[in-house]
Amino acid sequence: MSGHAGAHLRLVPAVAEPQPRKTFCGHCGEEPKTEQYGRVCESCGLGVLLTTNADCAPGPGDPFLIVDGSLCVCALSSVAEELLGVDETEAVNRHLSEFLVPADAEASGADNLMDLVIHAASDDSQARTAVVRAPDEFGVRFRAQVGACGPPRAALLVLSDGWD
Amino acid sequence: MRTLKTSEAASLLNVSPNTLRAWERRFGYPHPQRSPGKHRLYTHGEVAALRDALQEGLSISSAVSRAREALSADTNVLVGALHSFELDRADSAMEAALALRSVERSVEEVLLPSLTELGVRHGYSSAPWAFAAHWANEWLQRAQRLAPPPTRPASVLIGDATRDDLDPDNLNVRALELFCARAGARVLPLPVSGIMGLPEVLSAFSPHAVVIAGSHVADDDVARWAYGVRSAAGALPIALFHRGARDDRVRTTGARMLSDTPSEAHREVMGMIEARQARPPVAAPSIATTETGTEADDAPHMRRRSVGM
Repeated sequence: MSGHAGAHLRLVPAVAEPQPRKTFCGHCGEEPKTEQYGRVCESCGLGVLLTTNADCAPGPGDPFLIVDGSLCVCALSSVAEELLGVDETEAVNRHLSEFLVPADAEASGADNLMDLVIHAASDDSQARTAVVRAPDEFGVRFRAQVGACGPPRAALLVLSDGWD
Repeated sequence: MRTLKTSEAASLLNVSPNTLRAWERRFGYPHPQRSPGKHRLYTHGEVAALRDALQEGLSISSAVSRAREALSADTNVLVGALHSFELDRADSAMEAALALRSVERSVEEVLLPSLTELGVRHGYSSAPWAFAAHWANEWLQRAQRLAPPPTRPASVLIGDATRDDLDPDNLNVRALELFCARAGARVLPLPVSGIMGLPEVLSAFSPHAVVIAGSHVADDDVARWAYGVRSAAGALPIALFHRGARDDRVRTTGARMLSDTPSEAHREVMGMIEARQARPPVAAPSIATTETGTEADDAPHMRRRSVGM
């Protein structure tokens, strides 16, 4: 009897602690002010509310982009509009490489920007970091934290100039 | 077509009316019409398409883009129907368009772009183009028969300078006629080739504005017709529609160049008439004084200048 029961016992992977999540507006970066919120940000009215892991969530003053699995830009924060010099309305449905390219020429495989974005848009993995620049700018580089957000599933790129 | 007030549209989208107006400014969508009292009226189809797109979109921009794509499906259906010579399906495509839009927008966003696509694809001298243009002309005529009777003291004389029903400009001219009629104006299209008996017709019609539409007829012939109109009806505001892109025409004649889109053009024509009617009355017009100059303009040497109309 015990041998029969033992055949059904096996090791199961430990359940990971659920990571704290944060909801933010895809345009202004603000969190919803109330627990009950709709699809559209009540603060600015110009962005959709999305959720991501708290450790890679952008703040209201952060420049960030939302990119889907086919590497098309889906949203641009108001600060990113200023930083990249393009309106969100003009940027949507265009390829990410029109706005950002890897600054680290030697990065390959898992560190490659495009790989990171595709991975983040398809798998809820840990946030990773890449160094990026605008396609026509060689002197100005940004640190891009690449994580997942949604719904629907997409990659979130939060840009910063900090190197610490 | 079902329309929604701003508060109703905002409620359907679960946003505030201010947000809806902000979207109109930033994205140009949803694009409301105006009620007679100048209030915004949203088409239910546009708002519903945006509501659905918002659930799947990562931004308002991408949702708007998705909603626009959903609405443009009507154009593809109409092109497909006319491409395969299926008139019933073409009628159904316009019915579907009318369920989501006003007549004006159905014509401008579905019928005219579809016909342009077919004309470019097959050529404007091809049999498929003739088939499609014939259907479109009939559709526009049917729509005009259903237009309400004239409700405002505005009469528009359209000098038709297109070649025939197959002229690429013809559908735009017919659309302008339809829009003016639906705005409550009386509309009379006359070919610019017909000068005989013009005074009798104009004395009965009493136009408030003249639109010369189409680019097929030569400037000399158009100028002769315009002179006939001026002689019979006195000074009238003149506008040009789809008459080519020659600015010198406007410079030499003082005629106004209307926008290329029929909806914009009909608003401009109505604006011209309203502005003229708002002016204080002056001494009885004589043939010596024209809207654009004096009798000198009608002198033979000056008449040659006005051929640019």
